[in-house]
Amino acid sequence: MKVERGRDLAKITWGSLAILACTAAMAALPWLGVTSYVRTLVYYGAYFLALGQAWNLMSGLTGYVSFAHGALAGIGAYAVVLALNADLPMVISLLIAAIAAGLASLIIGVTSLRLKGTSFTFATLFLQELVLLLVRKLPFAGGPGGIVLEEIFPLWLPHVLMIAVAGGATLLVLVFRRSRTGLRVLAMRDDEAAASAIGIDATRVKIVLFCASAAIAGLTGAVHGVFASSLFPNEVFSIDLSIIALAVPLIGGAGTALGPVLGAVIYVGLREILQVLAPNLHLTIVGVVLLLVILFMRDGIAPALGRLFRLKDRRGQVPAIAEVRA
Amino acid sequence: MSGILTVVDAHKRFGGIHAVRGVSLALNSGELLGLFGPNGAGKTTLFNMIAGLYPPTSGRIELASRDVTREPAFRRARAGIGRTFQVCRPFRGLTVAENVLAAIPPGSGVGDDRARAREILDAVGLLPKAEDAAGSLTLGMLKRLEVARALALEPKLLLLDEPLAGLTASETSDLLGFIQGLKARASIILVDHNVRQSLGVCDRAIVMDAGAVIASGSPDTIRRDPGVRRAYLGESAA
Amino acid sequence: MTFPLFLQLLTNGLVVGALLAIVALGVALIFGVVRVVNFAHGEFVTLGAFATYLVVTQLNISPLLGIPLAFVLGAAVGAGIQAAIVSRAAGRPELDVLMVTYALSIIGLGIFSSAFSGDFRSYSEGPSGIFTLGSVVIGLRSLTVLLVCLIVGVGTILVVQRTRIGLALRALAQSRDSAAACGINVPAAELFAFALAVGLAAAAGALVSLIGTIHPRVGHDLVLDAFVVVVLGGMGSIGGAVLAAIAIGIVNAFTSFALDDSWARILTYCLLYATLLLRPHGLLGRHVGA
Repeated sequence: MKVERGRDLAKITWGSLAILACTAAMAALPWLGVTSYVRTLVYYGAYFLALGQAWNLMSGLTGYVSFAHGALAGIGAYAVVLALNADLPMVISLLIAAIAAGLASLIIGVTSLRLKGTSFTFATLFLQELVLLLVRKLPFAGGPGGIVLEEIFPLWLPHVLMIAVAGGATLLVLVFRRSRTGLRVLAMRDDEAAASAIGIDATRVKIVLFCASAAIAGLTGAVHGVFASSLFPNEVFSIDLSIIALAVPLIGGAGTALGPVLGAVIYVGLREILQVLAPNLHLTIVGVVLLLVILFMRDGIAPALGRLFRLKDRRGQVPAIAEVRA
Repeated sequence: MSGILTVVDAHKRFGGIHAVRGVSLALNSGELLGLFGPNGAGKTTLFNMIAGLYPPTSGRIELASRDVTREPAFRRARAGIGRTFQVCRPFRGLTVAENVLAAIPPGSGVGDDRARAREILDAVGLLPKAEDAAGSLTLGMLKRLEVARALALEPKLLLLDEPLAGLTASETSDLLGFIQGLKARASIILVDHNVRQSLGVCDRAIVMDAGAVIASGSPDTIRRDPGVRRAYLGESAA
Repeated sequence: MTFPLFLQLLTNGLVVGALLAIVALGVALIFGVVRVVNFAHGEFVTLGAFATYLVVTQLNISPLLGIPLAFVLGAAVGAGIQAAIVSRAAGRPELDVLMVTYALSIIGLGIFSSAFSGDFRSYSEGPSGIFTLGSVVIGLRSLTVLLVCLIVGVGTILVVQRTRIGLALRALAQSRDSAAACGINVPAAELFAFALAVGLAAAAGALVSLIGTIHPRVGHDLVLDAFVVVVLGGMGSIGGAVLAAIAIGIVNAFTSFALDDSWARILTYCLLYATLLLRPHGLLGRHVGA
């Protein structure tokens, strides 16, 4: 990935260093004597962030909305538990989980990414249902009763792994977004026809990106599978996780590297407050926040704050291509 | 003379691009005004502001002494502005007759409206195609269909956006004759990027370049204008 | 398979298919005219189902009267949501518009879940008993559903195909700019389409409450099938959606009988992916719209 312009290079360098520092600090938490409550909070923050960045890498950058990221994470969780129970080493098991989710994404990618965004969105929506139905039917997946991880791992392991995945995914989005390919993808989001005209193979770019995004989601789910250790299909493949995967980046700022970080922090905070005040209304409130952000902030809270403090995004100053043409 | 359309100091900015820079014009009843200029001169932007696709950034637009500056496109259509599109946009899945019917103001009952649609199609020579799908027409027929659709509004003003683009020589002369005949029904603004092609049928013309009017007046004045010759250097040298 | 069994399954499938058709008709109408995938459509079905359940059990009103009531309620709520929320996102990138209806769906799902918990509910008021025609047995309630769907479906298609407002909707679905240039009031036409479609969804919900148990996800699940149908029928094609709905209803009745419900659904989704791959404009659809 070739990166253009010095200013971007500086941004990437400083951004990467900041992400690495945060990741290291968060990963060190189990040995710093913080309470288990804080640790759990940070773990879930990282979990939602990793999932959100996975979604962001595809949907945030291309504008093709995926409703399947929860299901892709679920595939990763099932794959890792099955692999570990077959006595495979952890690294291989995680790799298998990422590959399994990547392969599942190909079903959607190959069938629908040639088409318009709506077809893709439908295809992801149906995958969510299809996977749940299949997992409940397939004997090796434990049926409706689910499966249990036989070996018990120390809690610091999923903690460190999850923070590494979240940090790595954020880093990937930061660097990719400013790479030459990343800029092309952003151009494609704004005007696919024009992007094709300058020689971008839109379908291939989208399939590769969706596959990578799915692999990250699978990895995230796998780490969470190690953390949760028992998996029930109705929980693992509930639509809720797919909602979180898109709500986190959309609330924070889809298509940016920092937006999902802010989104994850806001979501974890909201979740804690609602668990005390109104556990029944959790989903409703997430929906309302999402709706308000989309209607009134357009591209999320982080870019809105950026505009407020005059940290201008260059992209914002160029009129939309469609408008000029008209 | 009664004014049909008045545009006063219209500007349009898209982000950093100043597409139309203070254009004013007045159109009288029964007049055919040519609007010329090279690609990117701001003709279509001006045109779309008159049709109501988007409002001007500043300035005023009046139709028969009524301020329509902020009115949406459909209301201007009902007030008497009919238009065609540079790239034809028929309702492809509908029949030719339905295309015209969609533009007839509802009211007198479907039977009468259908008869009216057939009258209009007859006037533009498309009656034999009335029950065909609009998507199956040739380009020349589509242009006529768009004119028919505009006529169905009983317009005071007809806006024709590059109606000659893409037509063969014989289709061009056919359509020009047809457009001259339309003057009896409405005042017309005719957009073309090529001055020579249609200046002859115009009563008056305006030439734009880089968002501003560089010449206006009778066809003869336009032909002699040095600015126009410069803007069209090479094109009108012959 | 014996012939009487075949007829019985065909009848069962027809009832489910007819219901699905009414829901899919609304999804296709909104997609065609407003250019929005209404992910909240299922929540409007649920709204109609619970509204009917409440008027039947609390006010002792006949469920047959609940159907038009649900339609009116749905149309009013739909008009309000289109005017206040969905129209605000008009002209924005597809992602934004999708997320608006999706957020509405989440909100609706959350509200129904917390207001009615996860219980399954049903009522015994209204038509009851069975009707036998040769060897085919059809419940009077199912027959009611079939008849209402037929009337409502044909009525809607007549409005779209034969009236001036229907012509405006069809024109709008083909080209927005041209529709405006023809003097068609675009926002008003969109409002009408949205209200009509949501009214249909709520009426379908009332019918669902008549023949089955209802729960907060009842509409959500039904609309997933409706989305399958809309894709199979060619996005936005109303006729295609209706035909695909009836086909899916009947196919599901047979596969559910031969295998089980889950495998029937798995097969449906596989059929869908095959369709997307091989016939992206739908099994019956040709490419419509610009």
